[in-house]
Amino acid sequence: MGKHVAGPTGRLDILDDVSLEVNVGETVAITGASGSGKTTLLGLLAGLDLPSRGSVRLDGHALEALDEEARARLRLRLVGFVFQSFHLLPALTAEENVLLPLELDGAPDALARVRAALASVGLRERGAHYPYQLSGGEQQRVAIARAFVHDPRILFADEPTGNLDHTSRDGIADLLFSLNREHHTTLVLVTHDPALAARCARVHELVDGRLRVHAA
Amino acid sequence: MIIPRLALRTLRREWRLPELRTLMAALLLAVVALGAVGTLAARVQNAVLMSAAELIGGDLGIDASTPLPPAFVDHAKALGLHTSTLAEFPSVAFAHDRSQLLSVIAGDGAWPLRGKLVVTAANGSSHNARAPAAGSIDLDHRALVALGLTPGDRVQVGGMDLVVAAQIEQQPGGSGLVSLAPHAVMALSDARASGLLGVGSRARHRLLVAGGVTDVAAYRSWAKAHLPGDARLVTPEDVQQRLAIAFDRAGAFLQLAALLAALLAGIAVALSAQRYARRKTDEIALLRALGASSRFTFGSLAWTLALPSLLAAFAGVAIALGLAALAFAYAHNLLPPSAQRAPMPFGPAFAAAGMGLAVLVGFALPPLARLKAIPPIAVFRRSAMRTSRRFDAWYLLPVLVALGLIALATGSWKIAGVLAASLAGAAAFTALLTFTSLWCIRRYAARLSPALRLGASALARRRGLSLLQACAISLGLTALLLLAVVAPALLDNWRRDLPPDTPNWFVVNLQTPQRADVRGALAKLDATRFNDMPVAVGKLVSINGVDVESTPFRGRDVSQEASQQVRLSWSGALPPANRVVEGRWFAQDPAQAEVSLDVAWIHRFDLKLGDTLEFLVGDRHLDARLTSVREVDWSRFDVNFFVLLDPAHGQTLPHTWIASFHLPSGDAHALAAFSRDYPNLSLIDVDDLLDRARQIVGQVTTAARWVLAFSLLAGALVLAAALTMSAAERRHEAALLRTLGARRAQLRMAALCEFGLLGAISGATALLAAAIGGTWLAHSVFRMQAFAPPWPQLAIAAIVAAAVVAALGLVGTRGVLRTPPLQLLRR
Repeated sequence: MGKHVAGPTGRLDILDDVSLEVNVGETVAITGASGSGKTTLLGLLAGLDLPSRGSVRLDGHALEALDEEARARLRLRLVGFVFQSFHLLPALTAEENVLLPLELDGAPDALARVRAALASVGLRERGAHYPYQLSGGEQQRVAIARAFVHDPRILFADEPTGNLDHTSRDGIADLLFSLNREHHTTLVLVTHDPALAARCARVHELVDGRLRVHAA
Repeated sequence: MIIPRLALRTLRREWRLPELRTLMAALLLAVVALGAVGTLAARVQNAVLMSAAELIGGDLGIDASTPLPPAFVDHAKALGLHTSTLAEFPSVAFAHDRSQLLSVIAGDGAWPLRGKLVVTAANGSSHNARAPAAGSIDLDHRALVALGLTPGDRVQVGGMDLVVAAQIEQQPGGSGLVSLAPHAVMALSDARASGLLGVGSRARHRLLVAGGVTDVAAYRSWAKAHLPGDARLVTPEDVQQRLAIAFDRAGAFLQLAALLAALLAGIAVALSAQRYARRKTDEIALLRALGASSRFTFGSLAWTLALPSLLAAFAGVAIALGLAALAFAYAHNLLPPSAQRAPMPFGPAFAAAGMGLAVLVGFALPPLARLKAIPPIAVFRRSAMRTSRRFDAWYLLPVLVALGLIALATGSWKIAGVLAASLAGAAAFTALLTFTSLWCIRRYAARLSPALRLGASALARRRGLSLLQACAISLGLTALLLLAVVAPALLDNWRRDLPPDTPNWFVVNLQTPQRADVRGALAKLDATRFNDMPVAVGKLVSINGVDVESTPFRGRDVSQEASQQVRLSWSGALPPANRVVEGRWFAQDPAQAEVSLDVAWIHRFDLKLGDTLEFLVGDRHLDARLTSVREVDWSRFDVNFFVLLDPAHGQTLPHTWIASFHLPSGDAHALAAFSRDYPNLSLIDVDDLLDRARQIVGQVTTAARWVLAFSLLAGALVLAAALTMSAAERRHEAALLRTLGARRAQLRMAALCEFGLLGAISGATALLAAAIGGTWLAHSVFRMQAFAPPWPQLAIAAIVAAAVVAALGLVGTRGVLRTPPLQLLRR
């Protein structure tokens, strides 16, 4: 597939002839320099955007054939996200933030699942805390709990340790990979961090809009 | 020059920013509200004074019991003023063996100088006229009917045989409100020749002048210094005092309502300015880092805002003038025809522009002034922009501006303080209710539905902003509900108090032996609700032995009020529409005379129970002890008196009777024969007065409703400004929820819940506040005993308001809900 946008000086190709297949349960890292198109690729894989040409299939569904509403439903059912800047809603407690995906789905035993998810990231006692009452590492743990709470088939992580200090970074990475194993989730990770990328089974590098297998 | 150029360039880029647009819309609204109301009030005041000149027949009059010395005419002529001399007196006319008491004006050839004398001649044509020529007389319809005459017939007045020249349709001084006796107009020379103005006549002489405003003013001050002992000036202000006071009060109320709208718009200004300041922070930090002085950066900011502000203010002036012209066209039928041409004053609209700009500066400056303190290092560290949370004197500015504007509108710092405190109290009450409702919803209702929880948490997340929005919307809404729902209910109550058979005629000068006959004669005419009370005319001489004319009361000189005639009456039973609020009603045949007074008298003369009042009636002195204080409902058209005596002492005084009765409208012609049979009686028709009172109240209410709509519009602007301010945050939330898989319908539902809740809270608060305010008004101001707030209408209005707020919020966030989820990854 490819993705281009219209710029002030004409067409700008961001991704060109990218082919990538990720199997169930695999862990894949995508690395690359700033502006190489990593985030664009992640957005396309997760169905947040559509390619200019080519096709993206998620769990057998051709995303370009679906409208935004249908893609939102698919994300709710299949996809989890972890972001670099956590993206917790500041006025919701940790528990309420984790509750969001279940609430959107109308899940029945939501509260019990939220508490289990918070316990699994080591924040059993912090459910009533607001994001500003948590450290950066703790906020990312809440975000990871939110990502796993509805048992997604695939998890997209965008620089999950990018905003954390050295100590927190390892802890979060350990947590992410252990939960991934536990939930048998497929993981697609975008990162600058070679150490984090190295923990994935496959590493691809984006150079000039093209994907290269960097390491196996 | 570089600063204005930079400002223009910035403006070209930024004029589409929502916060700038909201800022300008708020300024526009403030100017339009203040300007339209100020212009209308000033124009109505001009019109009222113009109509007063019409009532007087000139721009100024001098009334005296004898003709004025020639110097008064000479001086007026020397100033280039027009003059006219006339006399007014009662006289009985005779024709066809019938007689009729007439109220006669005898004028010279110049009368009237202002206003119109419209007559219909024998050939049926109507035209403007002057006082008739010698040998003829004009009569009004009632006089013609009473005497059985038509134009062309002859009539005898003051021993002179005169030809009836025409029928009077309209005349200065006859506003149609009160017509004591049928009217006649004749030549002054005839009146003089007949001896009607001779020694011992009851004629009042009047000199009228008219001309340029400054000449009249000059003459007025000269005349004031040279007035003979019994003469008095008749000025438009005196003549229209009651009407002017009514319009002034209505005007002051409307101006306060407009000010409320302007101050609410000020909140929108403050929010927009804050958003704008936040947006400019990075730019200013960069400019500072590049070496620009803080004076330069602030100067360019001031220029950027000043240019569109001036445009918005001028646009506001134009719209205000247009609206005022429309409103005047709508309400002009309240005024006499000549007053409808009152010129449009331009001053108030421009003053409003000044006030609007003051609101802009007062409310926008505090957040913008903080930009001056941004250090260049902020370009590297955003945290450097955060100033400590110390008290910032800038935030006193909007409070001072608000206080100053209220003081300007009310003319008193004290009233301004009380009003501002009431407004702050209402806002605090609203804030408390909003806060409690938010807490309850978040704690309990949120369990019901995820959308409701998302909506409630959206409100809770921006608690300060939510409180501000709810306060602004519900203050505007409270004012509107009070006027739109509570006022008509109050008016209905008043109308119910005035049943269809409310007395609409009064008979004055009824003598004791005539009482039974008059009652019978009126009953034959199908008049109902006949009620008569004795009336003695006297004077208040002293209070507790102290002469009233030489005593100041509460620091006021009331000698003029005290020297006026007092009408006294007496009754064994407490008359209807009277309530004793202090003391006791009269004892049976008391040894010393007892008196009961209306509360107004208690305040005017600083009285207390047990005081002794001395009255002089004819040559009789009467000392009466104050034994009760009454509250009289003057809005009912019954015969009522400020001063009531116990009957045992009252009936010994020389007196006549005053009666009231109801005669269906349209049956008035039947009274012509009655009036002829009892020539000594004066009949007063209050139907017109009643209709006019109803009409004025109705139109002022409608006008006020429109003005208060400005307040609601200002509330909506605050909502818009708050939406602008929170737009970035909302976009983030929407993008996150979309990324997590939320459907657009879910987001819409959450937004609907959020704004529905905001509307419901504002509506409920306004409903409660309007009900409390209305009940207070009914009891304390209108003295109504039983008033229940119109709950169903209030509830419907509050629900509609909630729906409108929800709809506005949904429309305002439509763009936000469409935020593509990919934006989240880009942040």
